[in-house]
Amino acid sequence: MDTAVHLDGITKRFPGVVANDNVDLAVERGTVHALLGENGAGKTTLMNVLYGLYDPTAGRVLVDGAERSFESPRDAIDAGIGMIHQHFMLVDPMTVTENITLGNEPKKWGGLAVDREAARSAVVDLSERYGFDVDPDARIEDVSVGEQQRVEILKALYRGADVLILDEPTAVLTPQEVEELFEVLEELTAQGKTIIFITHKLGEAMRAADEITVLRDGRNVGTVDAAETTREGLAELMVGREVLLDVDKPPAETGDVVAAASDLVVEDERGVRAVDGVGFEVRAGEVFGIAGVDGNGQSELIEALTGLSTPDGGRIEFLGRDVTDDSRRSRIDDGMAYIPEDRQDRGLVMDFDLVENAILGSQHTAEFGPNGRIDWPHTREHAESIIDEYDVRPPNADSTSESLSGGNQQKFIVGREFERDPELVVAAHPTRGVDVGSIEFIHERLLELRKEGVAVLLVSSKLEEVQGLSDRLAVMYEGEFMDVVDPTATTEEELGLLMAGERPDADSTATAETERDVGASAGGERA
Amino acid sequence: MSEATAGSADADESVLERYSSRVLVAGVTLAALALFLVGGWLFPDTILGTFADVLTSRNTLSAALRLSVPIAFAALGGIFSEKSGVINIGLEGLLIISAFTAIYVTYLTGNVWIGFGGGVVASVLLALLFAVVTIEFRADQIIAGLAVWLIALGLAPFASQVIFGGPNTPTVATPGAISVPVLADIPFFGALFSASPSVYLLFLAVGLSWYVFERTTFGRWVRASGENPKALDTAGVSVTRVRYAAVLISGVLSGMGGAALSLDLGQFTGNGPTMVNGKGFIAIVAYLFGNYNPVGAFLSTLLFAGLDAMQTYLQLQGIGVPRQLIRITPFVVVIVVLALVGRTRIPEAAGDHYESGEE
Repeated sequence: MDTAVHLDGITKRFPGVVANDNVDLAVERGTVHALLGENGAGKTTLMNVLYGLYDPTAGRVLVDGAERSFESPRDAIDAGIGMIHQHFMLVDPMTVTENITLGNEPKKWGGLAVDREAARSAVVDLSERYGFDVDPDARIEDVSVGEQQRVEILKALYRGADVLILDEPTAVLTPQEVEELFEVLEELTAQGKTIIFITHKLGEAMRAADEITVLRDGRNVGTVDAAETTREGLAELMVGREVLLDVDKPPAETGDVVAAASDLVVEDERGVRAVDGVGFEVRAGEVFGIAGVDGNGQSELIEALTGLSTPDGGRIEFLGRDVTDDSRRSRIDDGMAYIPEDRQDRGLVMDFDLVENAILGSQHTAEFGPNGRIDWPHTREHAESIIDEYDVRPPNADSTSESLSGGNQQKFIVGREFERDPELVVAAHPTRGVDVGSIEFIHERLLELRKEGVAVLLVSSKLEEVQGLSDRLAVMYEGEFMDVVDPTATTEEELGLLMAGERPDADSTATAETERDVGASAGGERA
Repeated sequence: MSEATAGSADADESVLERYSSRVLVAGVTLAALALFLVGGWLFPDTILGTFADVLTSRNTLSAALRLSVPIAFAALGGIFSEKSGVINIGLEGLLIISAFTAIYVTYLTGNVWIGFGGGVVASVLLALLFAVVTIEFRADQIIAGLAVWLIALGLAPFASQVIFGGPNTPTVATPGAISVPVLADIPFFGALFSASPSVYLLFLAVGLSWYVFERTTFGRWVRASGENPKALDTAGVSVTRVRYAAVLISGVLSGMGGAALSLDLGQFTGNGPTMVNGKGFIAIVAYLFGNYNPVGAFLSTLLFAGLDAMQTYLQLQGIGVPRQLIRITPFVVVIVVLALVGRTRIPEAAGDHYESGEE
């Protein structure tokens, strides 16, 4: 076996945390190796060690059989290792060619000038060799996310990378772009490159990888052959116990319309219509899902609905009343709970303790803040009951929310919002960056609320999640609802196409239009 | 397909929008100039005639160039610094310290060029202090920049007081004007070829700066450092070094501007806001209006300086345009450009600290 990269007993400690604990990892040349694990399992830390960003506390890094010690990414690059970060390291106003050659520009006139022709032809040669579709002269800000990712890969190849590390490469892509990426990976390994692919998605690891290494709590809990494993087996390795992946839910018993929006228009700060004439309604006892690639207007839609921003057109009704101009506070008082997508920015005050965080949004109510003074003993009881009931760990109401892990922060927010006795729960990416155990828990709670007759509006970019939980599912693309579908009668591929802005059936545009009208008229008086 | 067309239409629109404010201001200026020229030609005895005389006067151009020198040098320096991600509002202070030091060193050595070098060194040292404080110790760039200004504003007149017994220095020799034979005799534009050496240095600096940004690797690194320092860092280039280099270059350029300002007059005057009198701040306006392009910054400086030169000559002709009114034009322009139209593209990471390896 020809090992391209061998990490031998890597341990990496941060103050108070062991991010990697004696991890072994051997990656064979010319293969795709997936590094699978939950958030916080230590995948990215391990790869940062390999890329020279972190110094390991203990252990050896071997590249091509020789022990190496990387002081900086520059050393790793020189050893033929390239990393494609989750957040692209690209300079927006520069061109594709300028970005690929940044830091390694071909020079002429004794270094006095960049040889722009040589740079451009090097980029063209590389992209032809690996069959990449990129425009060398386009500015990064003008090209799609998928193309930006190919630019990142080309950047690593240009630097002579033999081993490519991809950190969560699919997080920002549409399903079609993910498929394109996997084809690119196949082409790269066919030409002898080695790929290490960090992910927390089981399906992708199984689809793209030859071998899968699972990390849990900073430890390597097993390396398996992708062809000989099952999703359930991998999930168990990741979490350490059996996990129910499919949500089991009884049919919805829907009641009255709780919230409705019609012809909603929200402009972003540039004056572009982020939400462009959207209409829908959510009934008591149902989960109305909104799927879509991030950045297609979901955030703006939710901000308008919850009262964080004022829509530029259209109307919002809540419990049969026009609340378009009502404040956020009055909407909370009416029973609209909100799990924000950015929990650290919008959901919690990070240096407040959990007692204080427990009454954010209800500090003015008669229950917690009678006569303008906060009833601290009662507030503490409330915080402790949330901690208890929603299994927030560590169970200490005096700890600051900052000291909690992401999953526990999220459970606390979920608890706080659910305990408001809401009529409507607006849940934006409620399980983003949360470990599998907590995901299960949050899903169960959402379905319990649904059973109690609460209306739920769920926005998520995780297809499995919205598809599994929703009773009706809208797909949002560029500020509009492409369609409102029955999630059980729609395949993942069809949803993927909708998310990419394409209607599945080009021939039956008429049908799609009709369906859309149905969806829209179901959503309000949009004749 | 339709999406692609829509996309390119958007791009066209944004290009138009990007330039519209500048086109508007430049257009209004040109139209006003044309009005004065045509009106002055038709009615030579009216106020328009006087305006036209002033506009076509070779003295106006030569004064505009002279007034441009410190502002344009400082603007070039500001471009380097801010493009690398360090907002340097201490340009005013760099001009003050170099203006004083240039005179002092010339006074000591009797050589204008050694004095010029002394001014540059003083400015570089102050810029180095600014760089250490903002890059190494991660101080707020705006506050550190203000500190640079206040230090120089206090230090230069104080030093003058201690050394020469007053805020104004004695006069020293000035460098003579260099005239290019034949070309200097061209009417009006001849002013370009019969000027102080500092004007030629400025032309050189504008051209070189443009070349550095557009053609050299260092220029690209400076741009990347101000737009997405992490991209530069992961490409194996030290952001800290690039930023130090850029801030020091801003010190060199501002130092040349400050030294030229005082040496062309042969004296440093340190009363009130000193002889620099806000030129460093106008420089910031100039490079913003020039959209961080060295040539654009020079042209906008020339516009501001031209207005200033015109009012001097108008006063000589007996028409009083209040000086204060002229002096606020650059700031009015910047409010129009930044607040109303807002199309100047400020580097994404300008003002942010960067530490390698930080998640």
